[in-house]
Amino acid sequence: MRRSTAAAVGTLTGAALIIGVRLSVTPPEAPAVAAPVGNLAGATPAPKPSSKKPAASGSKEKPAEKEQEKSKSGLKDGVFKGNAAANPYGKIQVTIKVEGGEITDAAASYPTANDSATINPPAIAALKESTLQAQNADVSAVSGATYTSESYVKSLQAALDAAKA
Amino acid sequence: MGTTVSIELGEDRPEAELGRLITEVCDWLHEVDARFSTYKADSEVSRFGRGELRIEDASADLRHVLEACADLWRDTDGYFDAYAGGALDPSGYVKGWSVEVAAARLLAAGSHDHYINAGGDIRMRGNHPDGGPWRVGIRHPWEADKVSWVLALHDGAVATSGTYERGDHVVNPRTGRPAQGLRSVTVVGPDLSIADAYATAALAMGEAGIAWLAKRAADGYDSAVVTDDGRAFSSANLPAAV
Repeated sequence: MRRSTAAAVGTLTGAALIIGVRLSVTPPEAPAVAAPVGNLAGATPAPKPSSKKPAASGSKEKPAEKEQEKSKSGLKDGVFKGNAAANPYGKIQVTIKVEGGEITDAAASYPTANDSATINPPAIAALKESTLQAQNADVSAVSGATYTSESYVKSLQAALDAAKA
Repeated sequence: MGTTVSIELGEDRPEAELGRLITEVCDWLHEVDARFSTYKADSEVSRFGRGELRIEDASADLRHVLEACADLWRDTDGYFDAYAGGALDPSGYVKGWSVEVAAARLLAAGSHDHYINAGGDIRMRGNHPDGGPWRVGIRHPWEADKVSWVLALHDGAVATSGTYERGDHVVNPRTGRPAQGLRSVTVVGPDLSIADAYATAALAMGEAGIAWLAKRAADGYDSAVVTDDGRAFSSANLPAAV
């Protein structure tokens, strides 16, 4: 039940390692924020808003600027922003860059703040299915649904504690 | 709380000091038990549940627990419900929270390498006495002497809820009927009280809990699930040992 173990690991070493570990525990959050920046420009979220405000709409939308030079494709040079398309998680806005009448760059902005940042990019997140293992592994502790002292007595954790005491 | 707590301190300190740290943890857990046990008619939570204690007169700990339960009820779409059985029973939060507090006190007292396992819910920090991470097995839902995953963690919490111990004890608060579909749910994350509540909520959701858990990964809570029909699922960043 209660036990203490004296070990050869010094406190200083322990503290230094903890810092290293915090990094290894945090990663789950990192991809959610980091991945989108490069990925989303041409990935899934982009097509929807761009179909509402297609690239070609750049010239049709602003007929006022007629004096601007037009190429054979009908696209004016410059950087154009489509209207922001709203969805339940926030707004997505597509920007295109036209040079010599051709679209040379396209990017989509999408929400990165609050809930939206976590809901939007990893929307495809799902748990992976794998084969259920049954192993006899060397472990320090066992996590399980152990609700009573009685069930503890029969548990793997109890056997571990007995072995270490 | 009617459960057994295993504590391991992995520090090179005098035996008497380590013993005192462990005694302090046990004293705190007994204090929590006296205040929050629903099996004790004179506990603070029982008196509050019977309406004999006003919220204004409740201890800071009880007020914290009630607020946390309300937050978790919202965060889990109502599937974590301290009133699922009718009467107030915040045990599903109290166990994880009390261990989280105990581990924080160990850290404050200078213990950097430890784990506390309260009835299968574990909070750990630092290193195993032999160096390297703590290795935590997740109990196999059918074979009590086997593990279905092995995790390697330095700092974090692992909580498991399952139907294999108490049968149909976990109730889906939406239907009032026993939860079905999932046999074992393990959640790994920074805070044991949250991990424990998420595991309980997902178990109550049944198979829909798998998709719900997938979304929690973005907040740093990874998971491993076994369904009633023996399928295993885990999140991409589950800290599984190789």
